[in-house]
Amino acid sequence: MKDLKRFVVLAFLFLPFLSAGAQEIAIKAGTVLPISDAPIENGTILIKDGKIAALGQNIAVDADVRIIDANGKFVMPGMIDAQSRLFVIDREFNERRSIAAELNILDGLDPYIKEAPEVAAQGVTAVYVAPGTRSLIGGRGAVLKLNGSKDVGKMLLKSDIAVKAAIGVSFNNESSSLGRLANYSSIREALLETKIYMHNKEKHEREQAEYDKKKSEYDKKKKARTTEKADKPKRPARFRLNPTREALARVLRKEIPLQIEAHRVTDILNALRLADEFDFTLILDKCTEGYLVAEEIAGSKATVILGPVTTSFADMPRLEYRNHDIRNAAILSEKGVKLALGVSGRDGASSKFVALAASMAEANGMDRDLALRAVTLTSAEILGVADRIGSLEVGKDADIVMLSGHPLDSLSQVEMVLIEGKTVFERKDQQ
Amino acid sequence: MKKRRFLSFLVILSISFCLTSFGNEPQVIAIRAGKIWTVTNGVITDGIILVKDGKIQSVGENVDVSEGAKVLDMSGKNVMPGMIDAHCHIGLSLDIFSEMNETVAAVAAEMLILDAFNPYSDDVNKALRCGVTTIMLAPGNRNPVGGLPAILKLDINKANDWVLVRAAGVEFSVMNEALMFDREPTSRAGLMELIREELDKAKEDKDDGFNPTRDILKRVVVANKTAYIWARNVDEIASAMAIVDEYELKAVLVAAEQGDEIADMIAERNLPVIYPPLLLSSRDKDLKRAGRIAGNGVKLAFSSLAPKTDLCDLRTSAVLAAKYGLDKETALKCLTINAAEILGVADRLGSISEGKDADLVILNGEPLQLTSGIEMVMINGNIVYQRQEE
Repeated sequence: MKDLKRFVVLAFLFLPFLSAGAQEIAIKAGTVLPISDAPIENGTILIKDGKIAALGQNIAVDADVRIIDANGKFVMPGMIDAQSRLFVIDREFNERRSIAAELNILDGLDPYIKEAPEVAAQGVTAVYVAPGTRSLIGGRGAVLKLNGSKDVGKMLLKSDIAVKAAIGVSFNNESSSLGRLANYSSIREALLETKIYMHNKEKHEREQAEYDKKKSEYDKKKKARTTEKADKPKRPARFRLNPTREALARVLRKEIPLQIEAHRVTDILNALRLADEFDFTLILDKCTEGYLVAEEIAGSKATVILGPVTTSFADMPRLEYRNHDIRNAAILSEKGVKLALGVSGRDGASSKFVALAASMAEANGMDRDLALRAVTLTSAEILGVADRIGSLEVGKDADIVMLSGHPLDSLSQVEMVLIEGKTVFERKDQQ
Repeated sequence: MKKRRFLSFLVILSISFCLTSFGNEPQVIAIRAGKIWTVTNGVITDGIILVKDGKIQSVGENVDVSEGAKVLDMSGKNVMPGMIDAHCHIGLSLDIFSEMNETVAAVAAEMLILDAFNPYSDDVNKALRCGVTTIMLAPGNRNPVGGLPAILKLDINKANDWVLVRAAGVEFSVMNEALMFDREPTSRAGLMELIREELDKAKEDKDDGFNPTRDILKRVVVANKTAYIWARNVDEIASAMAIVDEYELKAVLVAAEQGDEIADMIAERNLPVIYPPLLLSSRDKDLKRAGRIAGNGVKLAFSSLAPKTDLCDLRTSAVLAAKYGLDKETALKCLTINAAEILGVADRLGSISEGKDADLVILNGEPLQLTSGIEMVMINGNIVYQRQEE
């Protein structure tokens, strides 16, 4: 009897897991905002194995499919904070050494922080974390999912998103034109040295290949005893691999973008100049005074991750934000700049203000659809993860947010958040 | 001929008037609006606000518009009273902390913050763009006895009387920020004792010659002027309340973020709270605090503490508080009438009602929607900001 009871209890305990594993889910929504496409009224989203299997108005749903009723609600892809500090241990944010492109942000994360669920509850399903601003070149950033896992490996969507650099960021609120110029030249120098390094490495590889060939010939001859010892080919000098240069070489080979944080006009222009000179993929980060050189940015191939939209997110007063203008995002996107919005907040928990940042950008002139795209699909595209997240499309991850109203409506409440089809947040109080 | 010249002179005069300041002439303006958020008397749909000599003459659905009135057609738009930032530090130099705090003397009662204010600062125009028409310019929180805040109307380039109150009450701080390692007091108990000593001296009213500190503190202990007391954490709020109880002060709690934890005690004492910007606190439960404080019957107003946060985010505080549980109607009051009442200027500001200053904000959507843009701002019936269409 007791055993039976225990069995029943156990069965009930495991039932949800068993069923959640394989079962398909269908979300029947009021309005679906796929972002990549026009809104779908009364749309259905079919989720299978954590991926979006089908999407549209007339989707056939089998009887055994679990249905989430989102009638009258808005459904959109999970939002992305492209300037997050979530999970990042403050001390691990910066390495004192100035050029440290080889560092990986994944080594400085604390997956146990308690703020993550709070951020997810606001519809943010992924964050991009990058090293801080105190190093000129600070290392490589990564995109993480807020799926509640405490295992960095399971949170990780993609590492090596970009190498992070900073030009002209003030320390202790002191900045000088000369100091900012020095930053620029140090980064330039690092890239030049990397070019030389690449050249030397190629040369070494050629020599090594030649040596290998000669050596094998020599070895053959030696076996046949048809050669003198003096003919033994000389081994080229050993080439010392340099991890910093290797990481930067990937930038110069365009395998990974260089993300440059630049606030003031001169620094932004210097970043564009660097991208021209070295032909790498440039992501302009922060871009505070971008609105003053919008034409120049639009004319370049650079993409922009803009933030903070309002200085209220930052610890003020800061010199970099002296000419901050809340219309920055509107002006840049008007000129056709490919633009993502980030929160760039004081701490990790600030990432929950992504939708707020987008609606502030809208309030100050940015097109509503573009503002929404700037926290979803555009971010995913700039960060190179658009194959997995950023929009509701067949084949993409089922990272889905359900809201009581339009996401940029200030009083809309997030009702439910799914990551890869699993519920990570569900609103309980209906106050 | 002479007449014509006079006429052309008049025309030029009126044009130049129009160019320098819209409608500076003492005429009647009728604002036709889609929604009027009067704050004290509900929302009027398709109403009219009649403004005469800078004051609101009447407001309602059926208001007689005389023939000479200049009609501003804002049908489809929302009108709300000018917002009041109950505590900020704008127009001071960038090195804000040395501008608003006296760091050598702990007691700086006679410090008039208005002396540090730059009326030509761009901050003023920025505030107007965001629909903030009145501010309390306050000293910082690093002096136990901190000086005299001012209440300013921001039509600085248009009027002479933009200083509404030159010295409104006295600021105190029982925050840990008021404790510095290189000057006394260095402990909370020392800080409390210092404030008591100063208040006792003022209360005693001994005639020992010129003593500006005593004369100013007499205003709060004798003349019942408002004491603005900075206190963020529960313990700081408790300290503030101790002083309030002992000296029977009329007081306002400034930046009392954790007030929700002892909201009943604050309500018992009838102490209003000037709430710090919600974007400063980022933990989720903090965003619910403002709603909980007001829910306990405490009168609440918002502040930007600019440049700590952007002054434009005064409205963001109200929106976030509303999203996290503050009653929507109250949220709007916190931006307007509550702030006016707390600052003691509700006879002139804070609502759209007869006899009050025509300080109005016209938005293209509801006030508690961040995406609603501010189209026009008026102070005393004069347009001080108008959104340019690109």
